[in-house]
Amino acid sequence: MEDGNFLTDDFLRQLINVGEVDILVGLPTHNNAKTVGSVVHTIRTGILRSFPRERAVIINADGGSRDGTPELITGVSIDDVRRGSGIYALRTLHAISTKYASTPQSEVAMRTILAAAELLRAKACIVMSPESESITPEWVTNLVRPVYSDSFDLVSPTYHRHKFDGLLMTNLLYPMVRALYGVKIREAYMPEFGFSGRLGSQFLGQNRWNDGIGENGTELRLTLAAVTGGFRICQSFLGKKDPVERRAADLVPTLRHSVGVLFSALESDFNAWSTVSGSQEVPAFGTDPELALDPLRVNRKRLRDMFVRGVSELESVFQTILAPSTLGELKRIAGLSEEEFRYPAELWVRTVYEFAAAFQKSVISRDHIIQALAPLFRGRVYTFVVENRNGSANDVANNIESLCLEFERLKPYLLEIWKSKQ
Amino acid sequence: MNSTTKDALWYKDAIIYQVHVRTFSDSNGDGIGDFLGLEKKLDYLQELGVNAMWLMPFFPSPLRDDGYDIADYDSVHPSYGTLEDFRKVLDSAHQRGIRVIIEMVLNHTSDQHPWFQEARISQENPRRDWYVWSDADTQFKDTRIIFLDTEKSNWAWDPASKSFYWHRFFSHQPDLNYDNPAVREHMWNVMKFWLEMGVDGFRLDAVPYLIEREGTNCENLPETHAIIKELRRRLDEQFPGRMLLAEANQWPADLRPYFGDSDEFHMAFHFPLMPRMFMGLKLEDRKPITEILQQTPEIPPSCQWSLFLRNHDELTLEMVTDIERDYMYDMYAQDRTMRLNLGIRRRLAPLLNNDRRRIELMNAMLMSLPGTPIIYYGDEIAMGDNISLGDRNGVRTPMQWTGGWNAGFSSAEPEKLYAPLILDPVYGYPAVNVAAQRESEHSLFHWMQRIIAVRKSSAVFGRGSIEFLYPANHRILAYLRRLGNESVLMVNNLSSAAQAVELDLRRYKGNVLIEMFGNNLFPRVGELPYLLTLGPYQSYWFRLRRV
Repeated sequence: MEDGNFLTDDFLRQLINVGEVDILVGLPTHNNAKTVGSVVHTIRTGILRSFPRERAVIINADGGSRDGTPELITGVSIDDVRRGSGIYALRTLHAISTKYASTPQSEVAMRTILAAAELLRAKACIVMSPESESITPEWVTNLVRPVYSDSFDLVSPTYHRHKFDGLLMTNLLYPMVRALYGVKIREAYMPEFGFSGRLGSQFLGQNRWNDGIGENGTELRLTLAAVTGGFRICQSFLGKKDPVERRAADLVPTLRHSVGVLFSALESDFNAWSTVSGSQEVPAFGTDPELALDPLRVNRKRLRDMFVRGVSELESVFQTILAPSTLGELKRIAGLSEEEFRYPAELWVRTVYEFAAAFQKSVISRDHIIQALAPLFRGRVYTFVVENRNGSANDVANNIESLCLEFERLKPYLLEIWKSKQ
Repeated sequence: MNSTTKDALWYKDAIIYQVHVRTFSDSNGDGIGDFLGLEKKLDYLQELGVNAMWLMPFFPSPLRDDGYDIADYDSVHPSYGTLEDFRKVLDSAHQRGIRVIIEMVLNHTSDQHPWFQEARISQENPRRDWYVWSDADTQFKDTRIIFLDTEKSNWAWDPASKSFYWHRFFSHQPDLNYDNPAVREHMWNVMKFWLEMGVDGFRLDAVPYLIEREGTNCENLPETHAIIKELRRRLDEQFPGRMLLAEANQWPADLRPYFGDSDEFHMAFHFPLMPRMFMGLKLEDRKPITEILQQTPEIPPSCQWSLFLRNHDELTLEMVTDIERDYMYDMYAQDRTMRLNLGIRRRLAPLLNNDRRRIELMNAMLMSLPGTPIIYYGDEIAMGDNISLGDRNGVRTPMQWTGGWNAGFSSAEPEKLYAPLILDPVYGYPAVNVAAQRESEHSLFHWMQRIIAVRKSSAVFGRGSIEFLYPANHRILAYLRRLGNESVLMVNNLSSAAQAVELDLRRYKGNVLIEMFGNNLFPRVGELPYLLTLGPYQSYWFRLRRV
């Protein structure tokens, strides 16, 4: 890479050899050798089964893997050099790789994939997680087909998840995106998704790549760009998704990449979301996802302890972010016994909205604001788990729906504090 | 031309022109092409540059399968002239350096052949055992039916002798019984009759089906190979320098035995390659072509593949997978009337949407891949077809010589022509004809002349080895042909868009590339990948030379 060129000469050479494609599969990786082999084989199977005539390419944007991840991906190419692979295909399937940095940055990976998609004039693009152990060939089909055959611009996935999996999605991202942007997209911060070349090109051209906001979380920004840009959005059911094991320390980075990106987008998208009321379903392909209910051990005590400690230790930070009444209420529930503890939906929504407004006003460092949300989120998770531990799938779905409606009901409150000077 | 005094491997350097006497030129105004008409057009073939012609069946026949239903092996169909007329064609062709290959249908006769007429008289008739009979239609159940669109069984009921007879093709074409030594002996005598007259070779039709055995698919059986070996032995002993070309629509591995140890066929059609050339072009991907050639076994040095783009039959899709066949149908024959049996009954130009660039590219590959190319009559001027005619007759319409009366084919009244002329605005004879293309320097005819001349300029094309280069750009089909010290490089762009390609030519470091059509110099090969850019469907032929 030189002279400000974004793509390396070597990668460009590979793209020239690939040429125009119909389908592009992006695979951002970093040391995923353990899982990526089966993921790319499944992707290849999906392409060969469902799109045998289409020109397709798998593009790996690697953040400096040292475990041979890129080699595992390029090894699944189908061409006329590798003989006796036992794979029957009408045409060549390239699988190419580029190393964009020595450290992983999902934004750079996404930008690489989007740039490749634009150069190759890809009609339908999907991005897959290299960690998706539950991936099946149908995932490829279900993400590509709405774009390729039905002219949708964004395909957001839905999964068969456990009721306690994806709690950031169910307790914050889904209801907040729904309330503010007016569309019911369940997985706005998505590890797998599909998009049209049209949407990809427009997003790539928005030129927000070096503004330092949300270095990761490009996936969410793409979703919001699709919503505000009037692109055709749908949801497609992929199937069961096994939760990826995360350490507690992963929460803050995750909040940065998701909630931080959402809060940031609210500024630029103000004209779009401020006038929206209510929310609309988006077209859906496949069956309606149902929550799994099998027993799952959750360390509730630890969640509550972290909430209580956070409220105590970060009180001075919260004083700059939260309204006195909200902070007072948080302090009150922090003093409740484990049996009595409950972080109610209305309080949670007001908390989130006040954080969003504080983020907009940069009352303190924006990163500190996001970090400060972590213990409060854990308190909310505690309540969600307690309230739903014996609930049926229907009960849990109803509770999530109630939370969404609470976000919608309190949207005027967000607008009020958003516009206030202080 | 006396074959015995010439190079015994002449067929390796041949460029064969496939022609049906009936379709080419009518000398007596009866609306049907004939030998004397063909003789008058030999100058044209010489001008084009071909050095061999393959005549489709011209024997007496009820013509229910365009002459592949022979009723007399020792004569010519009266519509085409006399044996003497045939001798004139043979001599005139030889005088022009053009070899003559004729069709020989060994597997079956017409049901009008006197042999079959005798055989069906009674079960005791001496000719009875010249054909394959059965009291029931249950034998050889594992045998596929070839003409799926018309035949339901390989057995047909003969009401005269009240038994079933075996036929691999139409029911009016009973198979000869090659288990009978008298049949084998007689068919050799038939071939000998024509060889003594001076023909240079035979295209032997439907050779995999000569023998039937229970529990097999009745194709490619060892006994069939034994019969061919015997024919070849006699040919070599009595008529050295003559050639046998096999029509065996089989996978490469199944075709290989037909070359034997240089003791069966000299040449065999490479059927699986042809549809894959069309597939590669449509996919813009060399994979189908290189894959089938990778799967093609080595053949003895004296043997040769025969390559073609189109012929008198449908573009056969028997030697492709189901997914490939579906793709070919969707890409090349969306109109279902274009489909016949397991194939597509269309000519080259309409298949390629009359795109001159694609026609040139396909011919460039035909002329440079390993094998002897066959040009189907009329394809050198991009003649069209008429799919409203039944069976495969749509690709067998009169040759278009001029824009005048009956396209210069015949002086007969138009309604007397054996088949209607092509009249549509794109391919009709007023627009597409030899006379017009002779006048235009940039016509396809003149381009074909040039590429034939370039091919004939070096034996490397007919006799050289091939090595694929596999550049990372899959739209580029690049290969080296080598013979002795001579090396040529072919680079074909299968894409409708311009392409850049880097070729690994380090082994040829220091060589310059000389483009063979204009003899232009290209930069010397160095250590770095050799960068070429090609326009849509462009082909380069380079000679590698140290200077």
